Amino acid sequence: MQQFALWLAATPPSVFIQEHNAWTIPAIQSIHIVGIALVMGSVLMIDLRILGWAWTDQTLRQTTNRFGPWLSGSLWLLLVTGLLMVIGEPVRELVTFSFWLKMALVAIGTLVAVAFQRTLRRQEQHWEARLVHRRSIKAMAILTFLVWVCVIFLGRLIAYDHVWGSWSPAPRL
Amino acid sequence: MLEWLQQSSVAVQIRDSLYSFPLLESIHVVGLALVFGTIAILDLRLLGLASTNRAVSRILADLLTWTWVAFVVTAATGGLMFITNAVVYFNNTFFRAKMILLVLAGLNMLVFELTARKTMARWDTERSAPPIGKVVATLSLLIWVGVIVAGRVIGFTATRAAAPVDEAAPDVDFEDLLGLPK
Repeated sequence: MQQFALWLAATPPSVFIQEHNAWTIPAIQSIHIVGIALVMGSVLMIDLRILGWAWTDQTLRQTTNRFGPWLSGSLWLLLVTGLLMVIGEPVRELVTFSFWLKMALVAIGTLVAVAFQRTLRRQEQHWEARLVHRRSIKAMAILTFLVWVCVIFLGRLIAYDHVWGSWSPAPRL
Repeated sequence: MLEWLQQSSVAVQIRDSLYSFPLLESIHVVGLALVFGTIAILDLRLLGLASTNRAVSRILADLLTWTWVAFVVTAATGGLMFITNAVVYFNNTFFRAKMILLVLAGLNMLVFELTARKTMARWDTERSAPPIGKVVATLSLLIWVGVIVAGRVIGFTATRAAAPVDEAAPDVDFEDLLGLPK
């Protein structure tokens, strides 16, 4: 991974971002944060609907129709800006424990969201009438929200990978 | 005053801890994501761009508590980060810009309360808010994006001023640090 990071750092797109890092990095990170906000807003609303704390005059399907596209659109935006950050600062990103744990949790969060959308579409009646009232489903809603909170924490911790002690592969300067 | 804040035992404890500042920053990001995420939902509704099948008052009722709780969390963690290095932050251009933008966001909200909000019963279920409401919503989105950008830039400008990178180590050999075979 270190070798790959060093190779990536020498590629033209990476060199461009590095040479103009005074504005490229803050700009990419700011767009990334806007994307995070849109994800968190959307996830919060869908989860609150499952918990019965908001959007209660709308069906579950109506709520996911409203926020699903924003959620997936924002996740794509995060993927693009995230990739640009990896290209721009490969060693800083790839040689950390935080980054890889974050990627694992992003994968889990995304899979849960996709699976949820699919089963809701296939068994709409069952979801609206029964599943949404189940305790286990409400617990899942809270859990997935916490997964995204952890993703934010880990994203920030990429800059502070030393908090993981010996788990961090980053060189200690 | 700023010096006193910086010397306070809370500030010293945060500075001395390996974990406090990263933790505060992380909570700050979660908080601001929920602030902007929920505000954007309302602004887009006012502009007639999303959730148009729901009354504005219902959306306000669903969101407001969350927005305020998230705002308090974000402000509290922001305040704690500020006192760890108060003098530097206070003199940082982007920190000042961010504070001005936050004041503008508040004033913008006040304009909404004093104008469109008063007549809301009349346009509550309309597709979009009256012109003044749309102006407020557009400004709100722009101001909050500005807050995010300024906030992110503080991290690049203030910390550097606070702890200048040691110029004595310009020829760090990263391959060596990573323990790669030459």
